[in-house]
Amino acid sequence: MSDNGKHTNVIVRIQRFNPDNDQKPRMQDFQIELKPGTTILDALQEIKTHQDGSVTYRKSCRHAICGSCAMNVNGKNELVCKTPLRERLDKNGVCTVRPLPYLPIIKDLVVDRTAFWEQYLRVKPWLAPPPTVQTDREYRVSQEEVAAIRNAETCIMCGACYSACQVIALNKKYIGPHALLKAFLRVLDPRDAIPGERLADLDGSDGVYRCHTIFNCIDACPKGLNPTEAIETLRKLAQRRLKVEEERLERQKTITEPIA
Amino acid sequence: MSNTTTIIHDVIIVGAGLAGSWAAMVAAQQGVKDVAVLSKIHPLRSHSGAAQGGIAAALNNVRPVAGTGPRGPLEQVPPGAEPADSIDLHVFDTIKGSDWLGDQTAIEIMCRDAVDVVYEYERLGCVFSRTQDGRIAQRRFGGHSAPRANFAADWTGHVLLHTAHEQALRHGVKFYSEWYCLDLIIEDTICRGVVALDVLTGAIHTMRAKAVLFGTGGYGRAFKITSNAFANTGDGVAIAYNAGVPLMDMEFVQFHPTGLYKHGILMSEACRGEGGYLLNAQQERFMEKYAPDKMELAPRDLVSRSEQREIDEGRGVEADGQGIWLDLRHLGREKILARLPQVRELAIDFVGVDPIDDLVPIQPTAHYSMGGIPTDVDCQVIADASGAPVVGFYAAGEAACVSVHGANRLGTNSLLEASVFGRRAGFAIAEFVKGGAKLQPLGGDPAARQRQRVREMLGREGGELVEDIAQELKTTMTNNCGIFRDEARLRQAWEDVRALQARFRTARVMDKSSRFNTDLLAAIEAEHLLTFSEVIVAGALTRTESRGAHSRTDFPKRDDKNWLKHTVAHKNGADGPQLSYKDVDIDWQKYPPQERKY
Repeated sequence: MSDNGKHTNVIVRIQRFNPDNDQKPRMQDFQIELKPGTTILDALQEIKTHQDGSVTYRKSCRHAICGSCAMNVNGKNELVCKTPLRERLDKNGVCTVRPLPYLPIIKDLVVDRTAFWEQYLRVKPWLAPPPTVQTDREYRVSQEEVAAIRNAETCIMCGACYSACQVIALNKKYIGPHALLKAFLRVLDPRDAIPGERLADLDGSDGVYRCHTIFNCIDACPKGLNPTEAIETLRKLAQRRLKVEEERLERQKTITEPIA
Repeated sequence: MSNTTTIIHDVIIVGAGLAGSWAAMVAAQQGVKDVAVLSKIHPLRSHSGAAQGGIAAALNNVRPVAGTGPRGPLEQVPPGAEPADSIDLHVFDTIKGSDWLGDQTAIEIMCRDAVDVVYEYERLGCVFSRTQDGRIAQRRFGGHSAPRANFAADWTGHVLLHTAHEQALRHGVKFYSEWYCLDLIIEDTICRGVVALDVLTGAIHTMRAKAVLFGTGGYGRAFKITSNAFANTGDGVAIAYNAGVPLMDMEFVQFHPTGLYKHGILMSEACRGEGGYLLNAQQERFMEKYAPDKMELAPRDLVSRSEQREIDEGRGVEADGQGIWLDLRHLGREKILARLPQVRELAIDFVGVDPIDDLVPIQPTAHYSMGGIPTDVDCQVIADASGAPVVGFYAAGEAACVSVHGANRLGTNSLLEASVFGRRAGFAIAEFVKGGAKLQPLGGDPAARQRQRVREMLGREGGELVEDIAQELKTTMTNNCGIFRDEARLRQAWEDVRALQARFRTARVMDKSSRFNTDLLAAIEAEHLLTFSEVIVAGALTRTESRGAHSRTDFPKRDDKNWLKHTVAHKNGADGPQLSYKDVDIDWQKYPPQERKY
């Protein structure tokens, strides 16, 4: 490869599909030079800007924080911006890129995320603030309470988990790991006033019991988060929903007071 | 490109980062029924989310441990203790950071509103890091004389963006996700709406509104090494300029001292705020020479120039000598994992180095656009140096120039500016709309011109590739209009930009389809880069002084006698920009210009 200063040509195999012209998806090979540090996104950019401008995908930040570029690489969902191409070449020097599975294709590697965002909206992703609103300082939250929701705080809504989920593959009514992780963030936040209402909603047939704990979401998450664990926590909390409501009311009595 | 209709809303906001989301949320909250936000990428992909280190506000939650000096440990402020920080101190630091080019009334408003805005984020659900007693945690940042960077680990922008978007949804704002604004409709200095392309279908629509806000972000993509996302192509700035709106202080471009070597990806200033060092090839903390007091926590313009000087004088690192070391090793594993987890992963993913054990190669990277669309303190866009309004047109955040950053922005003041002025814009727009603003009539079909433009672009065959032209632009802007500038290099940049503009007129787009045509969008974005770059270069060439981020080696001193003024550039047909100048708003009693030393 490039270790001795020489460059090697490799193949990026891309699934192509424009529903306006094509009956069904097809694979197309592009040859590019493998340079040190080339990411899969760099490779797609090289192909798009110099070989075939019609190759279509989403991208933006190029450092794994915006969530645009989740795709399926060699059968696994990941963010192509942070994945080195070299690490995804098979023994023939081929890397295969497909759109996220189980979602309608808009064009090439761009998928229709309507169902994904509908579920995000369904869980009311915003905080429902405590009834007593104070405006001149912050609510007091302990470091432990923040640590408990860190698993959900950094989710970038890339969809890698969603489209790796076997339940989602069969049933788009399932809320899904991304939205359940968001719900987890709200339910555990001591400032949220409606954990009971949230848990009641998540308790239904499309909610936490739909998860079959196959763990695909954990494998797929490019941020190292654990939606399955969050879903299991929600399941346990849902079983003692009234108690959770009570505890929250109690906690919110001292939400403006210093943590001891 | 068929199926086009006219769409009508009370308010149209272009851009869904912090400025746009706040404006939308507040306008809706204030009772404007019909608020729509257009974004060329999904709102949660906006570049505000990439900001890492913090948002400034003098909350007084944390202070230095007495007797430990400017880089010693911090502790939570005990109840009843004397405040260690103040709004006035934040104001002064920002003015000094701006090299006295910032407008002082706007700066005072920003620093005063800061406290309120950060508490509001907290009330709206933002998950901040905390002190032991449960307050919002704070850290040091460059150019700030107290620890006032309020943070959530090193993903502060991410949590702020998600919070603001969630709240906009909660208030019933309508989002047009993946709609690309092509034009701004202004007749007789009254704004009447925009023309936009639905990326999914390729249809081009006229969108009428009583008020339009641009929160379209910065223009760092005009440079080769940049921390900016692909999306940061200064679209709003270019569109406004083409529509006859002036641009202000465009020559002031911030180079951040710590972009990952070769990639330009941001390694947060929090690395230095938490105590990180910068080392040259001889492993010297070279900032001792340039800012003996503040060291690595001097403002960004100064630190980037110092790095570039070390590089230019042969003390850079890596094979080509273009790098500098960022040393975090002494912070220890625990602190890095708790405070800088994202930064650590970026270093591992992109340069294969774990900062817990090794030095990280970095280099200066084009980061922030101080210039932009000039506005008053309520985000009302002004039409000229006299301050006359463009009725119904507002701008906020990095796309705007209000101007709170002047010649150089302090870290953590950008998330603050976008939030404070996005919020102010929301109030101003609500007042404007509820005060009886009307939909203004249109002369002709504004979408027709854009359809013609797109047809013409898609129709070109056999020309050069857009990407090659864009790369040449970035190269000349970096080499000739970068950290250090002089007349000869700027003249070269001017000639290059003009020649590239001419070449672009025959460049070809490869994808001819109407569905989700990102090749077409890339071409329009490249055209925008070429459009505003002429303003950056013209402003830099004319400004014969060094101030903040604008550093002329042939005019190394600040010249308050001749240049304590804002550059205002109007498009003047094929001749390039017409420059005029606007006084800086200065309180001569309270904050008169001083020598800027750190």
